[in-house]
Amino acid sequence: MIKVTHLKKVFFDKKRGKITAVNDVNFHCRRGQIFGLLGPNGAGKTTTLRILATMMKPTTGEVLVNGYHVAKEAHKVRQSIGFLSGETGLYDRFTPCETILFFGRINGLAEQEIRTSMNEIFQILDMKSFQDVRVDKLSTGMKQKLSIARAIIHNPPVLIFDEPTVGLDVITARVVINYIKEFRNQGKCIIFSTHQMPEAEKLCDEIAIIHKGEILSAGTLADLQQKFREKDLEEIFFKLVKVKVEESA
Amino acid sequence: MNWKNVSLVYKKEIQGAIRDRRTLISMIVIPLIFYPLLFLGIGYFTVIGQQSTENLPSQINIIGVENAPQLVEILQKDKNIKIIQSEENPENELLGGKVHLTMHIPEVIETDYLEKDSINPISIIMKYDSTTQRSQLARKRVTALIDYYRQEIIQARLKQIGFDADFLQPFQEQWLDLAPEERKVGSMLGSILPYIIIILIFIGAMHSAVDITAGEKERGTLATLLVSQISRLEIVLGKYFTVMTISAVSMILGLTGLSIAFLTPAYMLGEVSIIRVPFSFSLFFLFLLILAPLVGLASAILILIGIFARNSREASTYVTPIYMIAIFLGMISLSQGIELAKQLFFIPILNNSFVFKELLMGTVNWTHISATLISNISIALLALAAATNMFHRENVLFRS
Repeated sequence: MIKVTHLKKVFFDKKRGKITAVNDVNFHCRRGQIFGLLGPNGAGKTTTLRILATMMKPTTGEVLVNGYHVAKEAHKVRQSIGFLSGETGLYDRFTPCETILFFGRINGLAEQEIRTSMNEIFQILDMKSFQDVRVDKLSTGMKQKLSIARAIIHNPPVLIFDEPTVGLDVITARVVINYIKEFRNQGKCIIFSTHQMPEAEKLCDEIAIIHKGEILSAGTLADLQQKFREKDLEEIFFKLVKVKVEESA
Repeated sequence: MNWKNVSLVYKKEIQGAIRDRRTLISMIVIPLIFYPLLFLGIGYFTVIGQQSTENLPSQINIIGVENAPQLVEILQKDKNIKIIQSEENPENELLGGKVHLTMHIPEVIETDYLEKDSINPISIIMKYDSTTQRSQLARKRVTALIDYYRQEIIQARLKQIGFDADFLQPFQEQWLDLAPEERKVGSMLGSILPYIIIILIFIGAMHSAVDITAGEKERGTLATLLVSQISRLEIVLGKYFTVMTISAVSMILGLTGLSIAFLTPAYMLGEVSIIRVPFSFSLFFLFLLILAPLVGLASAILILIGIFARNSREASTYVTPIYMIAIFLGMISLSQGIELAKQLFFIPILNNSFVFKELLMGTVNWTHISATLISNISIALLALAAATNMFHRENVLFRS
């Protein structure tokens, strides 16, 4: 469903010059799988996911989402994805119902189709009680549920979640995590970025540890534990980063 | 391009704007309530202030009453003038407000000129305080009476030497204004109206343009649109038509509010005369023809700035000089007598204000109208193309 081959993204900054945000990144994610990008802030997770979501173009390399090329077939890629990020906001002056109707319509769904899906999603996410309350009156948890509903209204086969639990309290974060698991059970291909090791351990079928734009190691949690002879993912992460720093020195 | 998507974005933005208290205040409350109240208030208090001052008498201190008894008599007959005679610190009394005008008559003013050996004009020294309204009013009252007194003396002297009063007036000129009433109103409106229209268009468009571009970037809602199935051009056009609508509505409501303020009889306390605006359907159509591209131009430029800016604050900073330039170009039309060279009709906003002026004066110059349309539409299209291009530029969309 997602295939990333030799992805590279270079920015130019007036002060800092050439910045390689993502360098030779390779991974693939299948249907019914959660693929985690684990790394600290500035590791290149968001840039990678923005490229997958067609918001940015790769400098080199090839990215296929649901079989479509992100740079050449951006429109088809957008039909196939649901995108949720900590920084994707909601329209404060609209109700959840109006928000979902709008996103359903701009994603090309028929009116009846939107209403049926919306009812289903509101039922599953337990949103019925606040579906007609303006967004600026909702709690953070309610807003995050709405963001999820917005991302999945057009029933995309691929879901891209960029640090979806950032800034959430423990209870809301758990609710979000449970829904992501539920989407995996529905057979969706999910790519998920986080800088929280326990979250990655619990949720991801495969993990790629990313640092300074490069994937240092990737595999299932068991693969990584066996490879580095460490049970704790955090220890594995620091071991990899230490090796990388020594190599660069 | 799918117009249904443009319409979806447009409807969403309009709905959001209607629910935004700030947009409603700037679009409806300020023009329809604040403008009339402000101008009515200013007019009311000015008139009340003038009336209350005009009902009060002027205290005139005359030094040398004995030198012009006839003048003093004329002044005394006026019920609005009270004469006092005080030679102690007359200037302090004037500046302290106890006296409103001091008149010093140093020599005898004789009516009978034949009794005099020679005629030398006598200086009557008038002292007043230009910073107080009552002193200014005293000056006005005394000037009128002194003119009358002067005429009396001239006539008496002419009579003495056997001349008729008309001797000094060989002819009287008569000035007749042949300008039709509509043209006079057009000339008056032509100076001020374009300027007001330009300001109202920009004020109306500014807040909404910044809010739905830079504001949306700041709130993180733009990313959700970018990953949806609508194209960048459809997003830009949806937002563009929203700003155009809000700007046009603000302008119409602004003009309505100002009309209420200026045409309400209370403003003139009954002295208002009905202004007959030169109206015809062809003029109305031409006005729309010129107005629509101007609204379009302002909206396109503001959308472009909003998309380029990192956040609302930065956008407001960029918008301010644009607004100042628009005001400057609009202000040029306020000056009477400036004729614009043909090629200057390609300068946006300036061309609008002069074409408006021409139309209100009853002149339809198609060369000027065409130049205005071509210039405004071309710049608006360029700004829109640039705005759409900004939506494809990562360094603009994701800079922080």
